[in-house]
Amino acid sequence: MLKILIPTLLLIPTSWLAKAKWLWPTTLLHSFIMTLFSLAWLKNTSETNWSTLNPYIATDPLSSPLLTLTCWLLPLMILASQDHLAQDPLVRQRIYITLLVTLQLSLIMAFAATELTMFYVMFETTLIPTLILITRWGNQMERLNAGTYFLFYTLATSLPLLITLLALQNKTGTLSLLIIQLLGPIPISPSVNIIWWTTSLLAFLVKMPLYGVHLWLPKAHVEAPIAGSMSLAAVLLKLGGYGMMRMMLILSPLAKELCYPFIILALWGVLMTSSICLRQTDLKSLIAYSSVSHMVLVAAAILIQTPWGLTGALILMIAHGLTSSALFCLPNTNYERTHSRTMILTRGSQMILPLMATWWLITCLANLALPPLPNLMGELIIISALLGWSTWTIIFTGAGALITRTYSLYMYLMTQRGPVPNHMISMNPSTSREHLLLTLHLLPLLLLVFKPTTIWGSAY
Amino acid sequence: MSAWRRLHVKVRRAHGLFTSRRVTEQYTWMYGPSTLGQNLSTGKPLRNDFFKAQLAAMRKKAADALPGSSWSPFDINPNLPPERADIVIIGGGVMGWSIAYWLKQKERVREGVKVIVVERDLTYSQASTVLSAGGIRQQFSLPENIHLSLASADFMRNINEHLGVLNEDPVDLQFNQSGYLFLASEEVAHIMEENYSTQRQVGAKVTLLSPTQLKEKFPWINTDGVALASYGLENEGWFDPWSLLNAFRRKAMSMGVIQCCGEVTGAVACSVVHDGITACVEQVQMPKGLEYQMVECAIVVNAAGAFSGKLAEMLGISSNPKDTIAGTPVPVEPRKRYIYVVHCPDGPGLDTPFLIDYSGMYFRREGLGGNYITGASPKEADEPDTSNLEVDHQFFEDSVWPRLAYRVPAFEKLKVTSAWAGFYDYNTFDQNGIIGDHPVINNMYFATGFSGHGLQQSPAAGRAVAELILDGNFKTLDMRGLGFRRIMAQEPILERNIL
Repeated sequence: MLKILIPTLLLIPTSWLAKAKWLWPTTLLHSFIMTLFSLAWLKNTSETNWSTLNPYIATDPLSSPLLTLTCWLLPLMILASQDHLAQDPLVRQRIYITLLVTLQLSLIMAFAATELTMFYVMFETTLIPTLILITRWGNQMERLNAGTYFLFYTLATSLPLLITLLALQNKTGTLSLLIIQLLGPIPISPSVNIIWWTTSLLAFLVKMPLYGVHLWLPKAHVEAPIAGSMSLAAVLLKLGGYGMMRMMLILSPLAKELCYPFIILALWGVLMTSSICLRQTDLKSLIAYSSVSHMVLVAAAILIQTPWGLTGALILMIAHGLTSSALFCLPNTNYERTHSRTMILTRGSQMILPLMATWWLITCLANLALPPLPNLMGELIIISALLGWSTWTIIFTGAGALITRTYSLYMYLMTQRGPVPNHMISMNPSTSREHLLLTLHLLPLLLLVFKPTTIWGSAY
Repeated sequence: MSAWRRLHVKVRRAHGLFTSRRVTEQYTWMYGPSTLGQNLSTGKPLRNDFFKAQLAAMRKKAADALPGSSWSPFDINPNLPPERADIVIIGGGVMGWSIAYWLKQKERVREGVKVIVVERDLTYSQASTVLSAGGIRQQFSLPENIHLSLASADFMRNINEHLGVLNEDPVDLQFNQSGYLFLASEEVAHIMEENYSTQRQVGAKVTLLSPTQLKEKFPWINTDGVALASYGLENEGWFDPWSLLNAFRRKAMSMGVIQCCGEVTGAVACSVVHDGITACVEQVQMPKGLEYQMVECAIVVNAAGAFSGKLAEMLGISSNPKDTIAGTPVPVEPRKRYIYVVHCPDGPGLDTPFLIDYSGMYFRREGLGGNYITGASPKEADEPDTSNLEVDHQFFEDSVWPRLAYRVPAFEKLKVTSAWAGFYDYNTFDQNGIIGDHPVINNMYFATGFSGHGLQQSPAAGRAVAELILDGNFKTLDMRGLGFRRIMAQEPILERNIL
């Protein structure tokens, strides 16, 4: 673990000491090398599931795919931000990379934490660089509003989580995941149990997001710069899912009744947010709502606490991370050329940028869960798990899946087909950087078709 | 003695009998117990009304704290335009607001496009729109012009269907459909006949009159020298330009268009590919002062009217060599025209059309009190100076009155009550509007150069530009003939006027 953490930490002095000409290539190269090393986490030979074990940091089949995804995303974020930061002064570029690296560090430590306290601290730490990214480098005035929503939604629900963790420490004497998974149910008086359950899970539900508390997500995703959107969509949402999966080990006895309202909210969320996607005018907003609709499915799957549910949740989280991040990169390529994100004004780009149309097609197909991509596998497993939990959920998940396909196709057709507007006739052609960016998003997705057991989590 | 008085009053005040706390203390000691029940100072409120002042302030503070309010701790100038917009329309005259309205009308979902209209003078003191005579006619020779005016007249007849806002007063354009009356002399009568057949073919309701029919219809006309007259029966006349501008503006703003008061002083080209430039950031300067805001935008529309040519130059269009496509300047410049208001109680009367004589003189009725608006086109050589809007009254004496009095003998006795001057956005190339996109700057559209008939064509021209932007090409009326191409190719499409 240290062989990843120390290089990541030292990327910060690298970004400050590198010469201007070599800043971006250097940080890119080094983050790629670290990513290469992080692939080693995917191999899990331990019997107890925990590997790279030390008292504070460990990986297990649940966290290693998420860790690898996090490490994979740093070079992609650096690659995506190169263009729009080119006109910023050098110091600001360095600060940007420092923020990305800090975010990366806190995310790695969050996913790899064995103590819930460290997980919590790192969970909160990720808020700070993200907030700075959104409010400083966002494009519009609304970014201040977006940052406020983002910060306070998460904080308001995570402070009760802190209290819960402290109380848990008091009760059980430890907060280490290695030990807690072996404890029996915790004796708590029934009236407090409900509060206990809610406060420990609400922070993660807001982060996922769950449908009723999802308002921060469209704002934050739309107003953030491209790297911010990518990391938010790909990794930060998964923090919520991961946290839920860990916390629910401790909370088992009451989960059967208490999770009902949240599962209902989640199922409605699939329908509602997918429908909202069909009426969006802003491309990034459409993708943000699409993220919500996938993640509420994950939330529902985790809440039902079956092995298939947890497996499906993990698969969908990884697949969605890659797909959503790619989906944010695509309108960004359009935005850098036409300075507009409105769907009416950015149409017909297949005629002008045909190669980019290929990436649009593959990414939209991945979003609509085309077999044999892991998106479909995750969704299928989740839908089956929910079906086993209750037959009626098939109405929601089925209709939700249908609308998901509809808006994914709608997004593809609106942006790529149709008459080319006059103002898009002469645009800069797609750069190889953009092609590389999208290849690196989609290649892992395609490779996962061949070895899906890497992301099956503890069930394998 | 005064000390006793002060004590006396203090005692009274302590009881709080006649006076409240905030009574002006400096007067009561002089005048003793006040006979008035209230003080007359206007600075502070009369009573310490908790419910009105403080409670309202608390509620406002709470409302600001809720999400969705626009309170922000930063003291930013609220008049600055937003940092980015999809479409920036430069020029807040009737053409600019018409385009803004049609863009919002045609977006298929709410808030589909973000439109801002930048106008540098919200009092419209020099804008051509409000200084116009306000006439509308279909008697052109170019089919495109006739189509535009016909569609605009239809729009204005049903204005409340288009521009009515819920819970607001209905729009009243005061559209007097009294028609235009063109008088042709012997030499130009054939042109008038050809124009008449074009107009009838396109669908304008015009009729030709011989001198005797003319005399019969309008006995106050002196028909000497008139060989033929062309009279519009429907959809022609005049209306109030200010009402149209405000109607467009009110409706567009109710649909979400942002109005910004400022002047566009520069633009940044963001991508220069070998066959095109894309202007992506406009620099908007605030009216009084040095503050400016860079507005990032996808599309720019030049609807600056008389100042379009100067704007295009400033945006760097003609910095290239003159004989290249990129260097073609936008040939629009301001030309000053005078309008004189005359009062003649024995004048032509209520059924007076908008009369245009072959000598270049025109007049129309204004209101119901025997007032008329008149003017004339100056010759090319005597174009007035365009640096200001001062009126030359000598021009009336020399050029307008004689022709007026010759054509309508009743006007020999009249009194000039007022006069004003306004600019034409004069297209020096062929005096017809330019509607379309720029060949080199991909995302710049034009709607300018109408040379005196911009106001009457504004609804239809706005719709044409909106179709070009949102649909990619013209859908209802084909205005390709009025595009920028003719200027590059140096192929003028001139109106065959009888003047």
